[in-house]
Amino acid sequence: MVKKLTSAPALFAAAGAFLVTGLLLAFLYAPIDVSSMGFSQKIFYYHAPIAETALVAFGIAFVAAILYLRDPDPKWDRLGYVSVRLGLLFSLLVMATGMIWGKAAWDAWWAWEPRLTTFLIVCFLYAAYFVLRQVVEEESRRATFAAVFAIVAFIDVPITFFATRYMPEGLHPVVITAGDTGMEGSMFLSFMISMAGMTLLLAALVRSEVAAERLKDEIDDLKIRIGG
Amino acid sequence: MAGRQFMAILRKDLIRELRTREMLVSMFLFVMLALVIFHYAFGVDTDADLTYFTGGMLWVTFIFSALLGLNRSFAQEKDEQCLDGLLLCPVDRVTIFFAKTSGNLVFLLIIQAVSVPVFTLFFIERSYLADLGLFVLVLLLADLGICTLGTLLATISMSTRARDLLLPIVFLPLIVPVLIAATSATTAIFADGADLGGLAARLGFLAAFDAVFMIAAYGTYDFAIGE
Amino acid sequence: MSIEEGAKFVAAAYAIILAVVIAYYAMSARRVSGLQRDVDLLKQEVERREAAGSGD
Repeated sequence: MVKKLTSAPALFAAAGAFLVTGLLLAFLYAPIDVSSMGFSQKIFYYHAPIAETALVAFGIAFVAAILYLRDPDPKWDRLGYVSVRLGLLFSLLVMATGMIWGKAAWDAWWAWEPRLTTFLIVCFLYAAYFVLRQVVEEESRRATFAAVFAIVAFIDVPITFFATRYMPEGLHPVVITAGDTGMEGSMFLSFMISMAGMTLLLAALVRSEVAAERLKDEIDDLKIRIGG
Repeated sequence: MAGRQFMAILRKDLIRELRTREMLVSMFLFVMLALVIFHYAFGVDTDADLTYFTGGMLWVTFIFSALLGLNRSFAQEKDEQCLDGLLLCPVDRVTIFFAKTSGNLVFLLIIQAVSVPVFTLFFIERSYLADLGLFVLVLLLADLGICTLGTLLATISMSTRARDLLLPIVFLPLIVPVLIAATSATTAIFADGADLGGLAARLGFLAAFDAVFMIAAYGTYDFAIGE
Repeated sequence: MSIEEGAKFVAAAYAIILAVVIAYYAMSARRVSGLQRDVDLLKQEVERREAAGSGD
């Protein structure tokens, strides 16, 4: 029963339901933000959940990396690899929606503000994860090195956010944080439902991608059996 | 016991480099050339006041110089198979890590000791002698972060196919926070003068960064160094 | 910024999200079906060879 409930199709369905509901609530129920941003604030209802979900994905990779180092089972490496890939995908989406929001709210495609900057660095960081994987031939060594890097990288994410936010002093006239949007009840509900939807989407994607990777490994094993 | 092993490895690395001085000379020349390039990069057609860029210029140079040094020292290790030899001895992997990090730290400090006066000559008008102690503190804390992370990542990247090409790619995104803090603190010292109170946040941040990644390296170095 | 102009940006943002997620899912699904086909083919091949080997 649990297996059925958490299977990829079920998760996708649940994710879809939550995301659509969240979207409807965002547009039909939550009021238009009367502060500086106006209608463009509506982007926030997906932008922030995507950001959160990206970080969750990297967190999953972090845990998977630790588990792999303790017990070198390929399934942890698969989970880590898939999570980082999805995290990177979501991070790129954060940047895309963030830039669109920036153009709408401050009339600038780019600003060196904490969130955009942090996610930019995060993208480079986890892109490096893939470069690292690419240049290691031997499988178990690749997984080990990738795990070490996933651990170090995830630790660096909050540090980087903290650094970009608190250190460059007084250079950023345009700083929009989640706190500024001061959410009231209806906004909050829409936001939470979208958040749940995005997280379910991540879970669904992780599920199906991990299964795909397992297939790939199975193929490699079968090929060895045939060839050898 | 670990202390003696640590000293032995550290001494080996130091003596080897001090005998030939190849790496140190290369790093030093790189820094000097970078400074000249910076002058032309920023100031050819303008009489721009570079005072608020000084921290950034200095740390960008040091970080790339550190990458040079890390790549070089680990490439030597790999080629001469010192690392394999070391691993055969009953040395704690973590001891190797601390010894290597310390060695790299010493080299970086040597380079900095020689190049900071030249940098001052080229770019800094104000005397910051009053804040020299603070400046050295910033140097030490930032260097520690650079060498800790750098040694961990260099150990990994040297075992890959890409060797020295990989290190900048994995290292630079991770070191950004150090760059931010060190640059900010250094520029403050060079431009307006600073006191311990004003820099406390940034120094504390650097110290925290160092502590966090030393712990992380302590936990993972066994795996980084491979079988 | 009027609501109409704002709405264009909002629509663009959500459209990109939708497009990327759908594109990723489609590529993924295609890859999986290809992999599944390969697995089935390889499994058949393995059985064939083992049958041939033991049948001698």
